[in-house]
Amino acid sequence: MRALLIPSVLTLATLAAAQDKVTVYQNARILPGGAPAIEQGVLIVSGGKIQAVGGASTPIPDGAVIVDCTGRTITPGLIDASFQTTQSYQDLNEQSEEVTPHMRALDCLDPEDPAFTRAREAGVTAVHVMPGTRNVISGLGCAVKTHGTDPASMVLGRDVSMRLVMGSEPSLGNRAIRGGRVDSIYYRRPTTRMGVIWEARKAFFQAKDENTLDGGDPTPNPGREILKQVLAGKLTTFTTARSEQDIRTALRLAEEFGYKTVIDDAYDAHYVIDELKDADVTVLLGAPSAERVSGTAGRDGADPRGATAPLLAQKKVPFVITTGTNPLALDLVREAMFAARNGIPPRLALDAVTILPAQLLGIDARVGSLAVGKDADFVVWSQDPLHPATTPVSVHINGLPVHTASTSR
Amino acid sequence: MNSSLLLAASAALFAATAVSQDLVAVKAGKVLTVSGPTLEDQVILIENGRIKQIAKTSEIEIPWTAKVVDASDKTVMPTWVIAHGTGGIRGSNESMQNVPWLSVADAIDPASTYFEGALRNGVGTVHVMPGNFTLLGGSGMVLRPFGKTIEDMTVAANTGIKMSLMNQRGSRLQQIREMRRALTDVRDYLADFERRKKEFEKEKAAGAIPEDKKWDDEYDRTKRAAAHLVQKKAKGWLYVPTAAEVTEALRMTQDLDLQIVLGRDIDEAVAKLGRFNQPVILDATIEYRETDEETKKDQKICTAKMLADAGIPFAMTLGSNGPTSYPWWQLGTLVRNGLSRRQALESLTVTPAKILGLEGQLGTVTKGKLANLQILTGDPFDATTWVEMVLLEGELVYERSKDPRLQYLFGEEKDKAKKGAGPDGDNEPKEGEKK
Repeated sequence: MRALLIPSVLTLATLAAAQDKVTVYQNARILPGGAPAIEQGVLIVSGGKIQAVGGASTPIPDGAVIVDCTGRTITPGLIDASFQTTQSYQDLNEQSEEVTPHMRALDCLDPEDPAFTRAREAGVTAVHVMPGTRNVISGLGCAVKTHGTDPASMVLGRDVSMRLVMGSEPSLGNRAIRGGRVDSIYYRRPTTRMGVIWEARKAFFQAKDENTLDGGDPTPNPGREILKQVLAGKLTTFTTARSEQDIRTALRLAEEFGYKTVIDDAYDAHYVIDELKDADVTVLLGAPSAERVSGTAGRDGADPRGATAPLLAQKKVPFVITTGTNPLALDLVREAMFAARNGIPPRLALDAVTILPAQLLGIDARVGSLAVGKDADFVVWSQDPLHPATTPVSVHINGLPVHTASTSR
Repeated sequence: MNSSLLLAASAALFAATAVSQDLVAVKAGKVLTVSGPTLEDQVILIENGRIKQIAKTSEIEIPWTAKVVDASDKTVMPTWVIAHGTGGIRGSNESMQNVPWLSVADAIDPASTYFEGALRNGVGTVHVMPGNFTLLGGSGMVLRPFGKTIEDMTVAANTGIKMSLMNQRGSRLQQIREMRRALTDVRDYLADFERRKKEFEKEKAAGAIPEDKKWDDEYDRTKRAAAHLVQKKAKGWLYVPTAAEVTEALRMTQDLDLQIVLGRDIDEAVAKLGRFNQPVILDATIEYRETDEETKKDQKICTAKMLADAGIPFAMTLGSNGPTSYPWWQLGTLVRNGLSRRQALESLTVTPAKILGLEGQLGTVTKGKLANLQILTGDPFDATTWVEMVLLEGELVYERSKDPRLQYLFGEEKDKAKKGAGPDGDNEPKEGEKK
């Protein structure tokens, strides 16, 4: 790792000079994110920011570096709103308690993680990293760029979400106490689905009591402070709920305590579409490619259907496409491609991996679309990004190329 | 006279398949012939299951007796040919390793979702073989993925013996040793058989056996298939799981008639694969990531691209689930890695047809070949393209609009309750609820 740092420092110095130059990407088809396509588009970048986006008539400053992008397509850098790092299970799941709202995913982020390299190679320039799924409330998620020398230089949003997990995972493999010491680490609760919900409810009850009752518990409790923020509507809960049953439970809990939630990894969204619509929640659609035409159901009995994305679009339930917790998920752009195959308009498929996740994570002032003043995070694709044969020609973060295809086609 | 001859020929080749007697005319907006240029605005005339004529719409009069399939806004191309697969069988691996006398004919399940999925993806021909967890694993069959019985589906039977160098219990060398021992056992048996035959003749000549008695011993039932293999009367379909087994496979080709079926991790032996002098069959996973053990560098490997660069022809296969089960995804992977569209298309049509010895029947849209056609909504390389219809030997065997499983997956919300799916199994509105 040390050996890797030396060349990257050297290149940074030269790249910093490149960053100040004005670079013009010409003749590309530009899909700006949240806006119609621009044919024969021009993208002007300098100082790591976008200076101009427009059609062929956009004035080009003197002395600019010109990059001809004929036949190419430019999109904003993709944003994965539920990203898996390669960190081990132990690193992402704090086992000392079932409810750990104050654990920060940011604190165990490794900028050298190969998952970030893969993300950059796939055109993903920003990600939302959450703690694992083995706790009932596992902690705070952060939004980061996929390139940087240390976590601080990558951060887009420090605490953008709190993860809550429904279903069988938080109770998986846990054992009830049978004799022995009650405080032994070998015993963990909850052991059932009911127990999972009770742990969540108990935590919210305690935080709520402190909100309403005079005084409350005088013991400082950092986790409870986070929950209070959630109850005050200052922090969004990302509830991981895959099956129909778990999604309903997630919505019920949010209604009961009056907090704002997003449904993460909502494989079964199709079956609870009306409830989702009524609850006015955003849905994270994890890996649309996981839909099986025939075969058995997935984890927690979830049964993803191809029609989910088109139905969400038709019913105007806001959704974002992610790679989710599926270990077989494809590159994010391919997941958008599968959603498009299943019948959503191509523009919506791209928005669902660019501007929509940026808005959801509250980082859209800096990233998510190609607009003047935003960070120059963008991808030059060899052809339409939703074609199976497409490949990123170059990927840029803050205007700098962080990945360039070894062979240009 | 011609038609009856053709009928006889196809009946012999394709035992017990119902050959459509009717004339069928496919109006095609675009024809991807695979062998030649892409044609536009064509009519493909099919007689008795074979392509009789391909002509521009303006230059042909469709006979009034012909059944017309309208694909005038669609793309027509040959169905895909899968040179090696292990799907559609109930139990593809016998727990005994050395069972060359078995046949997949006894295990094929015509109702398997594998065949259903194959048709949905535009596959018209599959070569089903026993699984890779074997030594000498029994013989395969070429099937069309449509029919209620194995007889309906058969294109060719007894296609050869499945062999595998995949290490089953313990070491790679043990598998190689067992393979050699199994083949030696068969050769010893044959030598002993010949010796006994010679002795019989000798004794007969000496008068110890009556003059009118004839040698009527036959090969043991369990030895016959393997005997044909070592006598090169039957082909061996040798599974070579990794680069490490390629050398042994090359040695084996000196004594046997083999078709090489490759596993995924063969990138390190690509330079040697040309020495097989034959098109090889690729694993369904043609692109994967690997971490270099020394540099720890994460890299993408595309075996198909490496083979193409080395000038080795190959047949592509499809996975049983996930993205590799979609032909458009597989074709896209090839093109993404720098292969031409033509190379990609041929690897799922012409090359596998050649491997199966059916290049005269399948793989292109050509006059005289079987009318195994798929009708697509668009370009086969596009993710948004769907297989609209499939014709096998001129017979319409698949229509997307009537595909019950797609109807379920993409159907209206109101359908979901009656399908009874979902973990709760019940989506009916409760009493008093609206809707």
